[in-house]
Amino acid sequence: MRVAIIGAGVMGLSTAYYLAKLGAEVTVFEQKYLLYGASGRNSGGITPMIDKKELIPFALKSLELYDKLPAEVDFNFLFRKDGYVKVAASDSDAEKLKRDVRVQNELGVKSRIIEPSEVKELVPDLNTDSIVLASYCSESGVIFPWPVVWGLAKGCRENGVEIKDQTAVDEIVVEGGVKGVRAGGEFYKADIVVNAAGAWSNKVSEKAGVKLENKILKEEICVTESIKPYLDPYLYDITYGVYLSQSARGEIVGGITGREVEEISTDSTLEFAARYAKRATQLIPKLKGLAMLRQWAGVYDEGKDGLPVVGFTEVDGFVQANGLGKHTGMIVAPALGRELAKLIVKGDNPNLKEFSPRRF
Amino acid sequence: MVKERKIVCRCEDLTEEEIIHAIEEGYDNLESLKRYTGATTGACQGKGCLMHIIRILSQKTGKSPEEIGVTTQRPPVNPVPLYVLSEGGESE
Ligand SMILES: Cc1cc2nc3c(=O)[nH]c(=O)nc-3n(C[C@H](O)[C@H](O)[C@H](O)COP(=O)(O)OP(=O)(O)OC[C@H]3O[C@@H](n4cnc5c(N)ncnc54)[C@H](O)[C@@H]3O)c2cc1C
Repeated sequence: MRVAIIGAGVMGLSTAYYLAKLGAEVTVFEQKYLLYGASGRNSGGITPMIDKKELIPFALKSLELYDKLPAEVDFNFLFRKDGYVKVAASDSDAEKLKRDVRVQNELGVKSRIIEPSEVKELVPDLNTDSIVLASYCSESGVIFPWPVVWGLAKGCRENGVEIKDQTAVDEIVVEGGVKGVRAGGEFYKADIVVNAAGAWSNKVSEKAGVKLENKILKEEICVTESIKPYLDPYLYDITYGVYLSQSARGEIVGGITGREVEEISTDSTLEFAARYAKRATQLIPKLKGLAMLRQWAGVYDEGKDGLPVVGFTEVDGFVQANGLGKHTGMIVAPALGRELAKLIVKGDNPNLKEFSPRRF
Repeated sequence: MVKERKIVCRCEDLTEEEIIHAIEEGYDNLESLKRYTGATTGACQGKGCLMHIIRILSQKTGKSPEEIGVTTQRPPVNPVPLYVLSEGGESE
């Protein structure tokens, strides 16, 4: 079986890796370089403490895979499991955290509600007046997204996958079913074409004549200068959408969760820097003197009902693998990719039925 | 004996040898090389090392500096403390 995968982000590469292990012949096409997409621009927050119950089993499975994959592909993902804290700054968001934790617990996630005073034990300089309540999960943390992508790419190549970077897929050839793709002026024959193009997925889907209406979100993020280990958990304020954590290099990485946009853009704005700095220093006033070194932005997509879009479409051989969503893409991709590989090879996989493109 | 170390990136303490090694491992375009080694991403944000990196890449790959290009310049031009930023931005 020959499979062409469009997009070398964490979704395309996970799918490619597990497909190759099941014996498929796989080529991955990337229009730019590895890390160009959201997978190279995100903050690496990994937790099963998600507010969409359909994603939780995949998050739990991915956590297992993130433990195993580095040894399998012989590449350190720099996953630091020092916990994940979600804070609420309003009473209604505090209620939401409580509801979410109840659902998470039912599905086997060891998350719990904690008071601001307990958050302060995890985040020593937290201003407890800036929050109302929090939830916490210790089996979570921060992964460095770049080695995830590089490591998966290495594992792919070692299993025979060809990764063609700087090679955009310009055309998906459909005659009855999928016949292959045209990229960089050449035709590549394929039985299956997988659309793992992240924020570009709607456009790629159009090339196969399949309507896809994922939301496109733009998210801005920045880093400060490096400081010595200081902030252990990943901190996410669900009321303001502001999050921050400390990277493996000691920088404080932080941003504001994405907003829906019409057009793909990765421009940086001063408005973001100001809004972020304001809330981050309310949460941890001690950060005030830290200098911001660099800011950037990334784009990603989300299925229009909030869930990923993964599976076969009405065009024979054309498969969606996109819509991974706000702050969940890095979390669910390994497990989703693995299940998708099974679906493609076996023709069926009940674990993915909630994400079927045919649900719309 | 002191081994000769040619530092090309002071902020991240990278030698020419390390850069060459990364290029040989396949991180042979500027965007990948910068991320893999950390060159140009330290305190100077490339002001001190970008030209060295481009020179080494050019020598190793045979591509001209024009072909290699430069990385995207991201704001801010100089580091800005968060308390200064938090006072900016009128919106909201
Ligand atoms: C600032 C920011 C912070 C985030 N923080 C988190 C977080 O903490 N935790 C979390 O889980 N998620 C987070 N996310 C979301 C996460 O990064 C994404 O959900 C995930 O990376 C999506 O992976 P992907 O493989 O679907 O898409 P991408 O990584 O975007 O990959 C798609 C690729 O397809 C390529 N492509 C597009 N069109 C074509 C074509 N025609 N031919 C060839 N190639 C093509 C693109 O160049 C791109 O490289 C964050 C995102 C951003 C932007």
